[in-house]
Amino acid sequence: MKISYNWLTEFIELDLSPEETAEKLTLIGLEVDSIASYGNKLEGVVVGHVLEVTDHPNADRLRICKVDTGTEEVQIICGADNVAADQKVPVATVGTTLPVETENGEPFTIRKAKLRGEESRGMICAEDELGIGDDLSGIMVLDNKLETGQPLQQALDLYQDIIIDIEITPNRPDATCHLGVARDLAAALDLELKKPFKTEFDTTEPLQEIGISIEAEEKCARYVGKLVKDITIEESPDWIQNRLKTIGVRPVNNVVDITNYVMFELGQPLHAFDAETIQGNQIIIKDFDEEITFETLDHIERDCSPGTLFICDGKEPIAIAGVMGGVDSEVGEKTTNVLIESAYFDPATIRKTAKEQVLQTDASYRFERGIDPQLQRIAAERTAELIAEVCGGTMVEGCTDVHPVKTEPRQLDLRKSYVNRLLGTEFSTEEIADLLDGLELKLIEQDEDKLKYQIPTFRPDLEREVDLIEEVGRLYDYNNIPAPKHGKFTSPEPITDWENLLSKARETAKGLRFREIYSNSLMPEKDAQLLGKTEEMTHTLNPISNDMTTLRPSLLYGFLKSVGYNFNRKVQQVRFFEIGNVFEKTSADGTYHSGIDEQTNILFGLAGFKTIEHWKTEPQHYDAFDLKAAVESFLAQLNIGEQITSRVDKNNVLSYFIADQKIGQLRNVSQEMLAEYEIELPAVVGEFSLTKIFEAKQQLQEPRYEPVSKFPSFEFDFAVIVGQSVKAGDLLQSIKKTAGPTLKDLQVFDVFEGESLGEQKKSLAFRLSFLDKNKTLTINDVEPIINKVVDVLEKQYSAKLRS
Amino acid sequence: MLDDIKALKQQIANYNIADDEDLESFRLKFLSRNGEVPAMFSRMSEVPNDQKAQVGRAMNEVKNLAKDTFETNKKKLARKEAQQIGAKDDLSLPAPPYSAGSYHPLTQTLEEMKNIFYRLGFSIADGPEVEDDFHNFTALNFPPNHPARDEQDTFFIRKDDDPNIDDLVLRTHTSPVQIRLMQEKEPPIRTIMPGRVYRNEAVSPKSYFLFHQVEALYIDTDVSVAELKETLISFAKLMFGSDVKYRLRPGFFPFTEPSLEMDIWWEPAHEKEGKWLEILGSGMVDPNVLKAVGIDPEKYTGFAWGMGVERIAMRRHQIDDIRTFYENDVRFLEQFH
Repeated sequence: MKISYNWLTEFIELDLSPEETAEKLTLIGLEVDSIASYGNKLEGVVVGHVLEVTDHPNADRLRICKVDTGTEEVQIICGADNVAADQKVPVATVGTTLPVETENGEPFTIRKAKLRGEESRGMICAEDELGIGDDLSGIMVLDNKLETGQPLQQALDLYQDIIIDIEITPNRPDATCHLGVARDLAAALDLELKKPFKTEFDTTEPLQEIGISIEAEEKCARYVGKLVKDITIEESPDWIQNRLKTIGVRPVNNVVDITNYVMFELGQPLHAFDAETIQGNQIIIKDFDEEITFETLDHIERDCSPGTLFICDGKEPIAIAGVMGGVDSEVGEKTTNVLIESAYFDPATIRKTAKEQVLQTDASYRFERGIDPQLQRIAAERTAELIAEVCGGTMVEGCTDVHPVKTEPRQLDLRKSYVNRLLGTEFSTEEIADLLDGLELKLIEQDEDKLKYQIPTFRPDLEREVDLIEEVGRLYDYNNIPAPKHGKFTSPEPITDWENLLSKARETAKGLRFREIYSNSLMPEKDAQLLGKTEEMTHTLNPISNDMTTLRPSLLYGFLKSVGYNFNRKVQQVRFFEIGNVFEKTSADGTYHSGIDEQTNILFGLAGFKTIEHWKTEPQHYDAFDLKAAVESFLAQLNIGEQITSRVDKNNVLSYFIADQKIGQLRNVSQEMLAEYEIELPAVVGEFSLTKIFEAKQQLQEPRYEPVSKFPSFEFDFAVIVGQSVKAGDLLQSIKKTAGPTLKDLQVFDVFEGESLGEQKKSLAFRLSFLDKNKTLTINDVEPIINKVVDVLEKQYSAKLRS
Repeated sequence: MLDDIKALKQQIANYNIADDEDLESFRLKFLSRNGEVPAMFSRMSEVPNDQKAQVGRAMNEVKNLAKDTFETNKKKLARKEAQQIGAKDDLSLPAPPYSAGSYHPLTQTLEEMKNIFYRLGFSIADGPEVEDDFHNFTALNFPPNHPARDEQDTFFIRKDDDPNIDDLVLRTHTSPVQIRLMQEKEPPIRTIMPGRVYRNEAVSPKSYFLFHQVEALYIDTDVSVAELKETLISFAKLMFGSDVKYRLRPGFFPFTEPSLEMDIWWEPAHEKEGKWLEILGSGMVDPNVLKAVGIDPEKYTGFAWGMGVERIAMRRHQIDDIRTFYENDVRFLEQFH
């Protein structure tokens, strides 16, 4: 919210500069976003005295003027017809930058120049060139009484101000006006707070002319009406316009401006109705059971849902309470009588309507934060008085104050012990009282241990003892709180197993030369369709755009998107990993919330060139075995290599398991998907659930050291011919199972297919390494094992031993 | 005879071997079957018996000299040959590219932050990104229909007309993990909670709809603002250097009371003027939050604080567009090791 520095000085005598004021505001919790000056200082522009005007020898339209600028006499060439000797005029001296731009959009700076051969040192200005008026008819002629040489800004008393832009936190409705901000400064700086308006009134009779009643008392706790008659609608005087313009509010007319002025002064939103348009001479505050269509001041027809609070006259709604008035009752040029509304509406009701209508006004902003429920009469009287004074009307005797729900000021105890325990300070109750002085809290009781305060109704945020402690802390300034004499000993806890697994996974992936990426967890639904059934996925109800509707069910999308991004930029060697959460719907209980399965996955992906054209290497693409090697090394380094089994399906997707639990899979990215992301080279991905790996690891023992055998190993090779459909993985598993514990290593050293083997046949050659802890193995030990293995392969896979 | 042997010895010792050809000539001349050394031994029969031992020794000496000379020169020549540098031996040729793995810059900043917290005795915890309204808002003292909820534009995942079924949202901060932790565990609690959070905000160079936070929570008897302040300052010094200039000022968060924010003085390399930069929000855990998780606020107090990882990483590396983090351009990523 923009605050005018000048306006603040109506309430407090500030002896701080605007910068110091801003700093202080920030340090007491009213964070200043920026400060800026308002109005042009017109530095370098002075009152000049034209001594003599002569014609320019080389130009009909130019004149040569001798001008006294107070410090010197200069020659200025001027093109205006109305320049004449003995005038006082505004002179921009050499070096001055005017608040207008040149035709090229550059700042207009006055330089020494020669115009058609005659020297010109300065410029006699017109109003528009100084940014202080619209008169283009010629140079600005000043009052002859002005002192020559005086800065123009001073001579004309041009309006200057400083705009302090404050970020108001939602707990501080009291600070949404100048009085509130001034009050906080007064408390922090120990200044007196002046209130240049009436706060006490005699009880008066309600208005005779208009009846006011509240039907929805739970939504409108108070409604004050005040009438001013026989006014003239015109532009506001400068002092009001300047105040409003400084804080960025566009002046409309005197009545509207005054309602705005008082709102920014006191924090009470006000509305003025053209009293003549109020039908049946009555105002009723009520809501409806049905939807209401209503045209607001901004000429928009709005559908308002049942329960929206309206201000109605005898016939129909005339304003959406607390948000915006209607067109029909708007104050316009012909208005002569106005009804001023000053009300307290329920914050939640106003918030709901403002949200529904996507319409946050200065009024709704204040109502939904909670204004002072005791301010309505003061603000109404203040507004009426100003309107009567400025718009030439008369205040009608009487003031209607319908006040069905009264708010009694709260009382709060403040224990010295709690203050000091929470802040780490050693304040006495006197010191605490001293700090809080100035906030207009009423001290009711005080003893050595405790203070009792009555809280003013403009501070709805002060609900509890702890809220008062915050006031003590912020007014004392947290920077002044002393450091504890010594730190407490805290018994540290071990880093969780889960965190250790994540770190280990990340480190291992980096060690395997993968580059970490962070990708978006929200993805377009159309892309999600490529990954599976979108009904089984989780979607946001209010996406930012169609590109971000679905929570990723896999890390694949982010990988492919990143690969595409890089390939488009000619980076075609990609080795990525990512760790992130993935989401799916589930009929089961879900990980944290019913229906939603949220797991942490790790993805490894390779794409493009493994090696490039180089004197040492041939260009070669990554393939699935490059990734398989890395992924299996990764699993081994997580100490689950021994427990892992894998199985390939008919689509050549390799799935990994621990016991019967699937933990991940590895595959080539399909041509279809590559095309979708404009990836022209092969890519391969492996994705694993770290959540599942973690669960499986929890069941496992820490690996134990195994003594290394002192005896040499015995190697044996053989090859078999099998049908194409037989998977190498199955053969390997059978071999391992049959060979027993002395088989330490098993490799496939040749894979061959060809006509010589027969149709749909292939040959696989195995190298088996046997090792025994207790003795050197010989062919006599190994031969029976090999025979058994070959036997099993023949039986199970119709394998033929190749000789 | 002995003179002949001596002459042969001299001849061997003086033989000049410069290349492989010389070496072969040497072998043929002295060591081959018809060479002079075997020829010398064949004359043994001429030697009288009483001189045989002496002459034999002398002959063996010559034979060994010939053999050693041959072997030494053979090695010497081989070494000389090895020193020849071929086109593909030139070590100034570039090796094929071999890129190392790397951590994302956000991981790097986060790891540094974690390590500082570990030094300060904090443990670590995490929770889900899809969270219910209770954990994300209500338990954290955000009343329903309160303007404070506007400060955190929320993505909704599930809304039900049945008021008994809680809304599901994408968490707007990592604070719900505080709630989970306090529900699970008795104080003292001294833990950090890093993670990904979401805000339904327009994307710009300064803001992205998802980012990462780290929160810290400490609950114990008699934890005060003074201790919070000490911890914040320790963190700032460890993260930004011991000469960091900082200030504390009041802030507002529904879940802390009092609430404080910390600014550090920042002088970007290419800008003329320094400025205060907000780096974290903090405060004393609100008694309502403690009550919501069944901790007695009269017995325990505590502090909590949170900060954005992106914001700090951007300052560290002078990155001016937050979106860069999520593009995963290799040319960007490879700058962070």
